[in-house]
Amino acid sequence: MISAKWTKRSPWILHFDTGSCNGCDLEIWALLTPRYDVERFGMVNKANPKHADILLITGPVTRKAEERLVNLYNQTPDPKLVIACGDCASNGVPFFDCYNVCGGVDKVIPVDLYVPGCSCRPEAIMDAVVQGIQMWQEKVEREGER
Amino acid sequence: MNEWYFGLALFLLTLPAIGLLLGFDRILTARLQNRVGPPLWQPFFDLAKLFDKEGLLMNKGQVVFALMGLLLQACAMGLLCMGGDLLVTFFLSGAGSFMLVLGAFSALSPFSHLGAHRELLQIVAYEPVFFLAIIAVGWYEGTFMVDSLEGNLIGVLPLVVLALIPVLMIKMQKSPLDLATAHQELVAGPYVEYSGPYLGITKLAHWFELAILLGFISLFYTNDDALWTLMGRLLLIIGLVVLVAVIDNTTARLTRGAVVLTTMTIGIALVGANLIILALYGLGGLA
Repeated sequence: MISAKWTKRSPWILHFDTGSCNGCDLEIWALLTPRYDVERFGMVNKANPKHADILLITGPVTRKAEERLVNLYNQTPDPKLVIACGDCASNGVPFFDCYNVCGGVDKVIPVDLYVPGCSCRPEAIMDAVVQGIQMWQEKVEREGER
Repeated sequence: MNEWYFGLALFLLTLPAIGLLLGFDRILTARLQNRVGPPLWQPFFDLAKLFDKEGLLMNKGQVVFALMGLLLQACAMGLLCMGGDLLVTFFLSGAGSFMLVLGAFSALSPFSHLGAHRELLQIVAYEPVFFLAIIAVGWYEGTFMVDSLEGNLIGVLPLVVLALIPVLMIKMQKSPLDLATAHQELVAGPYVEYSGPYLGITKLAHWFELAILLGFISLFYTNDDALWTLMGRLLLIIGLVVLVAVIDNTTARLTRGAVVLTTMTIGIALVGANLIILALYGLGGLA
């Protein structure tokens, strides 16, 4: 068992757009820019579910994207963390009761953290990720006990 | 100097040294992009996390190929550290690189297959240059044994060191020659279907592979004083890594054909030119 102090220093992210207007997506990309530079925390955008630890999901889950989202979630090895970024991803707000939308991300896969805002500010996403790293560490420790 | 425990210590130091070098490279890249960058220990954190995660497999063959790759690369590095034969080191390491290709082909994924094809193209591009560089060293010295190499090779074979820079760029997966792991198009190329500890194993194999090339390049500098030799070799390696990082951040990726053509032709031409000059002046052990 490797110390969680070490393992939590390297959260690799996967960003998936389930039908977002691109507002939240741009804010996620802003995290990788020199201004916010999340590589300070060891975060790298891997764009591959098999290498990812944290899933950053944006947008209301459309019926078309539902299957793909579940697929990506299942392909991510444990321990993993799901962060719903923005109002749409949190509960599908403006698309409530639409015929082609499932609603928030938590209707399809379990979500650990919700980031509010339309679109969510990069600072808020960073706050969520830093909190998420704490939760992830707890998950890692729990996995270790199991 | 040539005691067995010296070689063993060198072998054990390989992985920590390459990890630190890659951490330094990541900080340097971040600074070139006006970012702060990760801590120096980041590659070790990544590795620790990978070995702590769940491993998802497509088939059992993947694990065999990953482990074989690590074993071959580690053997090759061990041989280099113990002062063994450069040619055997080269062929063992080449077989190790090929294991990565086989592992990528064993999974039914288009990204993985594309990555494997491109990895093969890279092997075609750099392997002849690397091989000729070793042949050039052997031709000049009259031996391929690492512990019997003498003299300051960088003085007589400077063009060979130049030819090895594109090889280093390919091995470090750096733009403009990073065909296989082109993250914008292929996600992670041949590594795409590996996850958790199995990805960690392929990463370790890559660290050894890099260490073999850097170890070979470091042989080009020798001084009568052991301390100066060590300092000079470290400076040579760090200087080349800085150069590669700067090129990586200022160039766009080349196409497949261009990578093979430029690396092969320029590399072979440089090594050939160096040998012709040596032969004209009547230098070289076998001349």
